[in-house]
Amino acid sequence: MGVLVEASNLYVGYKKEPVIKNANFKIYTKDFVFLTGVSGSGKTTIIKSLYGEVPVLNGSLNVGGIELNRVKKSKLSYLRKYLGVVFQDYKLIPEWTILKNVMLPMLIAGIDKKTAENEAIKLLNKVKLSHKLDKYPAELSGGEQQRAAIARAIIHDPVMILADEPISGLDEYSANLVMELFIMANREKDITIMIASHSLPQTFNINYRQIHLEKGQVYELS
Amino acid sequence: MNSLKSHAALILALVSILVSIFLFRLFNNVLQQYQQNILNNYSIVIVSEKELGRIDIKEIDKVEKIDISGQINHMKRKFKNLNLDSIKMPYFYRLRLKTLPSPNKLNEIEETLKSYPYIKRVLTYRSSQTKIYNLLMLLKITSNLFMVIIAVLGFLLIIKQLEVWKLQHNERMYIMELFGAPFWFRGAALFKIALIDSVIALLLTLSLIWYVQNSIMYKTVLNDLSITLNMNLQKEFLILLVVSLSISLVSSIVVVIGRNR
Repeated sequence: MGVLVEASNLYVGYKKEPVIKNANFKIYTKDFVFLTGVSGSGKTTIIKSLYGEVPVLNGSLNVGGIELNRVKKSKLSYLRKYLGVVFQDYKLIPEWTILKNVMLPMLIAGIDKKTAENEAIKLLNKVKLSHKLDKYPAELSGGEQQRAAIARAIIHDPVMILADEPISGLDEYSANLVMELFIMANREKDITIMIASHSLPQTFNINYRQIHLEKGQVYELS
Repeated sequence: MNSLKSHAALILALVSILVSIFLFRLFNNVLQQYQQNILNNYSIVIVSEKELGRIDIKEIDKVEKIDISGQINHMKRKFKNLNLDSIKMPYFYRLRLKTLPSPNKLNEIEETLKSYPYIKRVLTYRSSQTKIYNLLMLLKITSNLFMVIIAVLGFLLIIKQLEVWKLQHNERMYIMELFGAPFWFRGAALFKIALIDSVIALLLTLSLIWYVQNSIMYKTVLNDLSITLNMNLQKEFLILLVVSLSISLVSSIVVVIGRNR
């Protein structure tokens, strides 16, 4: 397995105030990684730094061959096309239907509308939302919105999915369904998965690695 | 309903700016034509001891000799005991100007003319000319000020609309940015709104112009002032189209660039 993400002596944070200090870790292709830590430990900051929303203050952060320290905006847009991002608050476009929301990354990639639509319908079928294609995000439950968000994150076959607390706030049934979708993406599409979560799931049928955050320090666990 | 309000706000702002631009150009054109009419009927009369070909004053367009033979014949008939042929008559000239002069400029011209030793009298009809000039200037300044106020109000409305757009489109553009959407993709919805609204605003403005131009009152006023408008309506349409599209597209670009991070 090749190295997909490499952080060395990494400092990231907001307004020159580092949240993560001197972090060193690696993420390999096809990895399934849990980023754990208590609230405020910097999980979201790490996830955001991986798609370039939080700046690298010092050190090096290389994602898919792109050095994110002083990265150009055009390069960042290029990188983001190869990533899938899932948020705790789903971040679906409220005025778009679920179908159109899922199509978004393919439309950005310049794929024609018909192909994107067919692919989105297939995926929405897989995430058990085929009956909600024409609904708007506000008309769906939290679990359904998160499944739609995952469908959106994997539709364009990204190299890696970054998920920030994707199951917090979901009921057990929805949380399991969401985790199964991540496993499916990892197994069937070889997508690297990185999930930020304050704890590990109780039962989990996949080999995974754990990166733990504590007081701004990063520890790689097996 | 909100979307309709948002459209209406931009359209209203654009219409007010376009109307003020058109009226500004129309008023200037009308005033220019009126000024020209006055100028055609205005001249300075001079009495000279010698015959003149031309006068080196840059404001003077033409020097026309006034034929006084009719008046001399009339006098000969009236005063038969006078031998007018023995009197050396002066030459009378009418000086046509290039532009309608301001009272100060008229003063300068008069002084320059008087400085020539062979020019004996200069008649400028200053009092009526000054009144007309001041009235025209007052009209021009008032109308221009009025147009500027309308345009400023329009721009203020557009600035307000930019704030509304920022709130309405920020979330969507942010999500698109997270997935690597390019600039044009993030702003596509806004550009579309801007384009549609500017076309609607232009059509409304043109309808308004058409209505005014075909109104009896407008025609009567122009007729009474003996003004034939010298406006190329195709050119005016193009100017308004460019202004309308530029304002709305620049506004939408500002919103896309200025998205809150």
